[in-house]
Amino acid sequence: MTQFYKLSKPIVVLVVLALFSWTSCKVESIKPSAEAVKDISGNWTVIAATRNGTDLTTIVDFSQFKLSFNEGKYTLINKLPFLVSQNGTYSLDDPQYPFQINFTPTGNKAVSTAFTYPIVNGVRQLTLTFSPGCPNNTYVYTFQKAN
Amino acid sequence: MLWCFCAVLILSIVITCCSITVFTINQPDTATVGSTVPISVNFTYHNIYASTTENLVFGFLAPKGWAAAQNAKITYTSTAGNGKMVLMPSTTIEPQSSGLTWSAALLKKFGIGGNLVNDMEWVVYQSDVGFPLSNGEEITATLNISLKVGADNNNTLCKLGYVIAESNDGLHDVDGSIDGGAKYEYYAEQVTPCFMLTGGSGDIVDFCNPQLTSADPPKTLDNDFVTITFDGTVTPTALMGASKVYLCATANTSDGKTYTVCDQSAKTQFTQTVAGSNKYKITIWPRSYFGIADSQTIVNMNYFLTDATGNIKVGYGNTASPFTYTFKCN
Repeated sequence: MTQFYKLSKPIVVLVVLALFSWTSCKVESIKPSAEAVKDISGNWTVIAATRNGTDLTTIVDFSQFKLSFNEGKYTLINKLPFLVSQNGTYSLDDPQYPFQINFTPTGNKAVSTAFTYPIVNGVRQLTLTFSPGCPNNTYVYTFQKAN
Repeated sequence: MLWCFCAVLILSIVITCCSITVFTINQPDTATVGSTVPISVNFTYHNIYASTTENLVFGFLAPKGWAAAQNAKITYTSTAGNGKMVLMPSTTIEPQSSGLTWSAALLKKFGIGGNLVNDMEWVVYQSDVGFPLSNGEEITATLNISLKVGADNNNTLCKLGYVIAESNDGLHDVDGSIDGGAKYEYYAEQVTPCFMLTGGSGDIVDFCNPQLTSADPPKTLDNDFVTITFDGTVTPTALMGASKVYLCATANTSDGKTYTVCDQSAKTQFTQTVAGSNKYKITIWPRSYFGIADSQTIVNMNYFLTDATGNIKVGYGNTASPFTYTFKCN
């Protein structure tokens, strides 16, 4: 009997601890945080450009060209070949998970293109693919927000 | 022992080779724009190792402007059967090229067949049915191509390319396999001598011979960036060795107006690719370069190359006539 008591004492302690730990746990309902709306407003400059895979960045002066987004409108500053050639309005196909951006030049039909918005080295980039001239000539501009 | 048996079994399943032992092409040297050209491709196809069902694959290298996929009709006659060649689905992967489509794989392996203007394409066909081939079976076949040439209406000099392969091995490199004492070849390729197309009202497009100037991309509109290259090594010109070369160009718009930019300035100056190379490049955005209005469209551009004084001018073929570049997509 004594022997039994000696053996069961640590077991009782463990059971009590287990009860404490069990009752101390509470299942929290985990709600995923909502994906942020992609805000592209601001002035963007070209940091890389290709034409049919050929790098244009060093042979064309892109430094003056800016693409400005502000309250649903876009403005082309110091124009270069681009998806559109007139200012107008823009929209994303999905504000949270956009895959396409639509440009509607004033007085013209909307045109859309693939839209990627990666973070590279901690900085947001905006990459657009389009053909301003012949359909077989594909340009990729990578933008970064101007300081 | 079991391991050896399994290895042999696996090898016999995987290796389904063929070898093309005869490969001849009958193609005219010249034609007129818009005519239908008959071309025949004869080959003998020798299968070794295991038997399998294979489709014949045919790759044809032609100028993009010819739109060969729409303008070529191909049938075949063979000792295994007759039928027609159909376009390879654009998503079909060539089995040896790590995920490349057949057209991309041919371009990667054979380039543009020695042509000098990167405006060629590989159009790929396969036989309408597959053929079960037995070990050692030999098939003699002829492809009969009926090709309407010059859909872009351009007078053209180009080298046409032909590749014969089969669907299972694709563009498999030569390995240790021997067929009849020779290395076993899984495909065959030929590029024919320069083919001349005349009678068109479009530009002269010479894929065969080095040109004093060339444009990249070859086909553009005025809203593209156009890179013009002057290769002074093609033939001696008055600009040989010039440290600075300039563009003197006139744009003609669809509303009948002309815009000339012919000063010798930073805007018109070519960049020499490597010092002393006699090769120069300039990239322009024609709409801005010539300063046309938004409502206008540039149809073509005539241009010369000049020295810093503007007195020395080099034109088409090193003559006093200007180079001409037409803005169009086809």
